[in-house]
Amino acid sequence: MFEGFHDVAWLEKTRAEGDVAAWLALIPYARRIGVSAGPDPRGEGVLFRLDPREGNVGNVLLSALHGGVVAAFMETAATLDLMLATREPRLPRIVDVSIDYLRTARVEPTHARCALLREGRRLANVQVSAWQRSEAEPVATARLHFVLMHPAEDA
Amino acid sequence: MSQREQGGVSARVSPEGWQRALTRFVTVIPHTRELGLEVMAVDPPEVLMRQPWHDDLLGDVSRGLVHGGLLTMLLDTACGSSVLCALPTPEVCPTLDLRVDHYRPAVGGYPIWARARAVRVSESIVFTEGLLWQESEERPVARGIANFVRLGPRNTPAGLVEALFAEEPSHV
Repeated sequence: MFEGFHDVAWLEKTRAEGDVAAWLALIPYARRIGVSAGPDPRGEGVLFRLDPREGNVGNVLLSALHGGVVAAFMETAATLDLMLATREPRLPRIVDVSIDYLRTARVEPTHARCALLREGRRLANVQVSAWQRSEAEPVATARLHFVLMHPAEDA
Repeated sequence: MSQREQGGVSARVSPEGWQRALTRFVTVIPHTRELGLEVMAVDPPEVLMRQPWHDDLLGDVSRGLVHGGLLTMLLDTACGSSVLCALPTPEVCPTLDLRVDHYRPAVGGYPIWARARAVRVSESIVFTEGLLWQESEERPVARGIANFVRLGPRNTPAGLVEALFAEEPSHV
């Protein structure tokens, strides 16, 4: 019987299959803002996408996405990317996030790619870059720290 | 450069006027309007907000925990609102950067409270801090520090001040 993220067998299976969609199905806020994931055409990893939705607008005068929604997208990407990238199945719990906003995010598709800069025994550091039309012109960059929990311990 | 530049609109607005203005602000923003974010009190340069519970705020269905990114969004909104009431005249101020510390998980099923204030208004930047909690302000779930860029009156799109302080439409 499926029990969610702390169901070790399910976590191992979805992880082996790279089934990020199965994980996203358990994250209502990520679904609400329109996060999806697909294979990265440039490499082995995952490319994340935020749908351009009217409900994600944070500034009507500038017609810009809500900076907090962009941050939530990047945090979701970092968490899921980390769940795929760790040596063993782990459940990341966020410790802190720092985000720099570089350009106005328009109501257009937004993409994100993550890099696991360090995986320690208990802590991980993930870097995220988010862009719209051109990856060379990111709208935001972020770095996040996570505690890595054993799935069975974090129920 | 001074904290209270002269001749601004803000000095003439009462706390109740600010509560109505910032309620309009979070109601005009599509994302916070759809989530039903409420402005509970404003005492410039400080704001108090309340996010009612909504199942879409979850970040993990199986464990019933709030999405960390939702907390970041609330801090960005609350800190950004404190900026508006701290300026001599409200300007559009995009977020420059934001840092959030997650002290403990936020639990689904309960409202989330946010208190934020502008700490310092400089010529080009407004520095803010904010706190989120559920059961008690003494047990915060997250703390945020956010800096905002002042676009200045010249680059603020027309209509911000009017939109904030317009007479309330009778049908609302």
